[in-house]
Amino acid sequence: MDEAVKKYTTRKEFFKQYKKKSRLQETWNRFLRNKMAVIGLFIFIFIVLVAITAPIIANYDTEAIKINVPNRLKAPSTEHIFGTDEMGRDIMARIVHGARISLVVGFASVALALFIGGALGAIAGYYGGKIDDVIMRCMDVFLCLPDVLLALAIVAAFGTNLVNMTIAIGLSFTPKFSRVVRSAVMTVRGIEYVEAARAIGSTNTHIITNHVLINCFGPIVVQVTLYVASAILTISALSFIGLGIQAPIPEWGNMLASGRAYMRDHAYIVMAPGLAIFVTILSLNLLGDGLRDALDPRLK
Amino acid sequence: MESKKMNEQENTLEIRNLVIHYISDEEVVKAVNGVDIIIKAGKTLGLVGETGAGKTTTALSILNLVPEPQGKILSGEILLEGRSVLTMSELELEEIRGDKVAMIFQDPMTSLNPVHTVGAQIAESIEIHRKVSKEEALKQAKEMLELVGIPGERSNEYPYQFSGGMKQRVVIAIALTCSPDLLIADEPTTALDVTIQAQVLKLINELRRKYHMSMLMITHDLGIVAEVCDEVSIAYAGRIVEHGTLEDIFDNLRHPYTKGLFDALPDIEIRRSELKPIKGLMPDPTNLPSGCPFHPRCDYVMEVCSQSLPENKWLSETHCVQCHLYKDTNESRL
Amino acid sequence: MFKFIVRRLLAMIPVILAVTFVVFTIMYFTPGDPTNTILGNEWTEDASAKLKTELGLDQSFLVQFFNYTKNLIQGDFGMSYITRAPVSEQLLARFPNTLKVVAGAMLFCVGLGVPIGVFSGVKPYSLFSNFTMVVGLLGVSLPIFWLGLLLILLFSVQLGWLPSSGIDGFASLILPSVALGANYMANIMRTTRSSMLEVIRQDYIRTAKAKGVNARNVVLNHALQNAMMPTVTVIGMNIGALLGGVVLTETVFSIPGTGRLLVEAINKRDTPTVLGCLVIMAVCVAVSNLVVDIVYAYMDPRIKAQYGGGKG
Repeated sequence: MDEAVKKYTTRKEFFKQYKKKSRLQETWNRFLRNKMAVIGLFIFIFIVLVAITAPIIANYDTEAIKINVPNRLKAPSTEHIFGTDEMGRDIMARIVHGARISLVVGFASVALALFIGGALGAIAGYYGGKIDDVIMRCMDVFLCLPDVLLALAIVAAFGTNLVNMTIAIGLSFTPKFSRVVRSAVMTVRGIEYVEAARAIGSTNTHIITNHVLINCFGPIVVQVTLYVASAILTISALSFIGLGIQAPIPEWGNMLASGRAYMRDHAYIVMAPGLAIFVTILSLNLLGDGLRDALDPRLK
Repeated sequence: MESKKMNEQENTLEIRNLVIHYISDEEVVKAVNGVDIIIKAGKTLGLVGETGAGKTTTALSILNLVPEPQGKILSGEILLEGRSVLTMSELELEEIRGDKVAMIFQDPMTSLNPVHTVGAQIAESIEIHRKVSKEEALKQAKEMLELVGIPGERSNEYPYQFSGGMKQRVVIAIALTCSPDLLIADEPTTALDVTIQAQVLKLINELRRKYHMSMLMITHDLGIVAEVCDEVSIAYAGRIVEHGTLEDIFDNLRHPYTKGLFDALPDIEIRRSELKPIKGLMPDPTNLPSGCPFHPRCDYVMEVCSQSLPENKWLSETHCVQCHLYKDTNESRL
Repeated sequence: MFKFIVRRLLAMIPVILAVTFVVFTIMYFTPGDPTNTILGNEWTEDASAKLKTELGLDQSFLVQFFNYTKNLIQGDFGMSYITRAPVSEQLLARFPNTLKVVAGAMLFCVGLGVPIGVFSGVKPYSLFSNFTMVVGLLGVSLPIFWLGLLLILLFSVQLGWLPSSGIDGFASLILPSVALGANYMANIMRTTRSSMLEVIRQDYIRTAKAKGVNARNVVLNHALQNAMMPTVTVIGMNIGALLGGVVLTETVFSIPGTGRLLVEAINKRDTPTVLGCLVIMAVCVAVSNLVVDIVYAYMDPRIKAQYGGGKG
């Protein structure tokens, strides 16, 4: 009898592994067939690489920060690919370093939202009933305030530095994230094998971690991608209106803000930063859409 | 297929050598592969076959509603009362749809528009084909509802307020409201409860007789065939493998597939312990077997069956079959 | 139907209350002493203490919140720390401008987004449809403020066709509306397109065609109403986003609206004004959600009937 059980267990494991791998393979293949998504992926990887190697491409202090008035407002040339800004700084250098900030804040804030919102959503979705109600009511309240405004309020209260910005943006995404995780959990909860797992006595935590979360993985990854895009947009937006990253730290949004006064005669000054934001967000959106289509082709 | 000498005006519907494939980037679905159908005025033809035999596609092609762009009618002729459907303009098609030929679909739950009242949906047909005012159309719609057994006051209600059987009655009302000459019924009772099935079938039969309609009844249920049909065509993998009158098929069947269909019916008198299904599975329309499509499942298979398609052979004035067994004889080989 | 509206209105109140609470709490924890801002050079210990009592700032959190809410219901948003004038005055002067821009953006979004979405949904493999998909993708990724700057560069500076700032006259609304609405128009376009695609595949569309309904009426009478329902939901969800974006738009186009007021107030640490702006925006979002709910209920007979609109 024990032999049979052992054989069955290992066989079950074997098939489980097989199924998971082949599903992942399938999804990845579908993703690769989507040209736009792959382009998005490459662009984004490029941006990440640029951010990582920023100090190698351009020295932070001498090129991105140091004011160099005689050099100011020079049009794009071989020396300065994107031109120089109103303080004489090389725009390309600032953009490259700005990428670091955008990406760091983008990922960190979404990670925060995922952690808090995800936990709340998972609990609400899994346990349902009163707990679900209470948590969702709280989240609904936050949904009445647009993201930007909530982030603004937090910034207004606590001031503008990198940490605050990250927390502010992260908190503003938490309600939406909790909704996403909650609905993913609720969908999975209904599926039979959760019932089966319960029937053999798995504890609730065990079920959540082993079964539920693994299947929520897909939609959550999609949302993470799209929200990182949103977070990057928000940080640049806040910096643009002066309530985000402050000068002289190079951030794409505040570069647009300070360059604005000169754009009539020096249009290039608002081109590169804006393009940087646009391309980053575009690549993430392509990526997120591609992932969504790959994970569930029916939804197309 | 050599058609028998028939005055074309007497045939409500004539389909000759219809070939329809669904072509997509990844595969070609050979849904219909050379179908011939003739329905005489006032008669009912039963089109029998399992799911995937191409029946619905054939039916849709009569109204030229095969989903585009994948669905392509590669060859064939469809004559509705002598007029060719496939060469008609869109305007002409819109005129005959609902008026000369009407269709009842399989699933009543999704066939009705959820945001319009049932009365309005019936009245729409009337407004399009008969030049009457909106009020008059609604009035006639109410009468139509009564005819199918639904109280006229309910004409202002929405589809979600009706049960499955009643929804199907509404669908029938919509189809019959302009007294079409040909009614195409695509498995109209399959989605309904057994008790409701009988009611709806009875209703269809009564109305058909009342309006002297011809009917194409698509079904996989031989019981329904026995009740309402005059002639039967057995479809398999997009071909008509056997065709004849009720007697021809029920008493003198010739094709092994037809035999399989009848054998598969549980017979209350011969209390066998096992059911006798046809072995194997329906062929994949993207990958049909060579030669005769039925040969992998056939108990009477011969070498020639996998090599070439059998020709259509007329065994009598009304009965024909496509099978290599009958190349040289008309007697039953089963 | 009426009962439905009343019920929803009543449900709105606790939500707005809760939002006010959240915002109030956040602002309450602002570090720093507001009396510094108000008194400026005239700051003394005594004056500060007196001012605190006057403004009720020495009372407990809950009491302050209660008072604030009480005043709020009566339309009293408190006094600005900077101008010493009632916040409600400023709001009244500025808010209509914000509304104009948001309305303009809405018009642009829906007026352009829906028809384009419908057309490309009806003919999904055409050149037009592919083009709109590309435009849609790009539009969703464009930052509002950059688009605003680009539009100014093109239409104001280069071509000189449209004004780049201020809010007098119809012409001055065009660029802000387009800039604000672009993201959401792309969103609505994509949603309408995909819900149209979904609806066209349905059985009841096939029934309509089999009845002989002509192609145009199939789309207009049968498909459209069904396809609009997800679109209406998306439109509703976007209103909140529009109110967030209007802050940016007002900054780019120098429009004297609530958004800019909010930014200025934050910079000057003028808490009552900040609160006032945020509360008003939250109320807007809540009201527009209500309107969307009502429209949606009206469009779907199942929901309409639930609330006493139809028979049965």
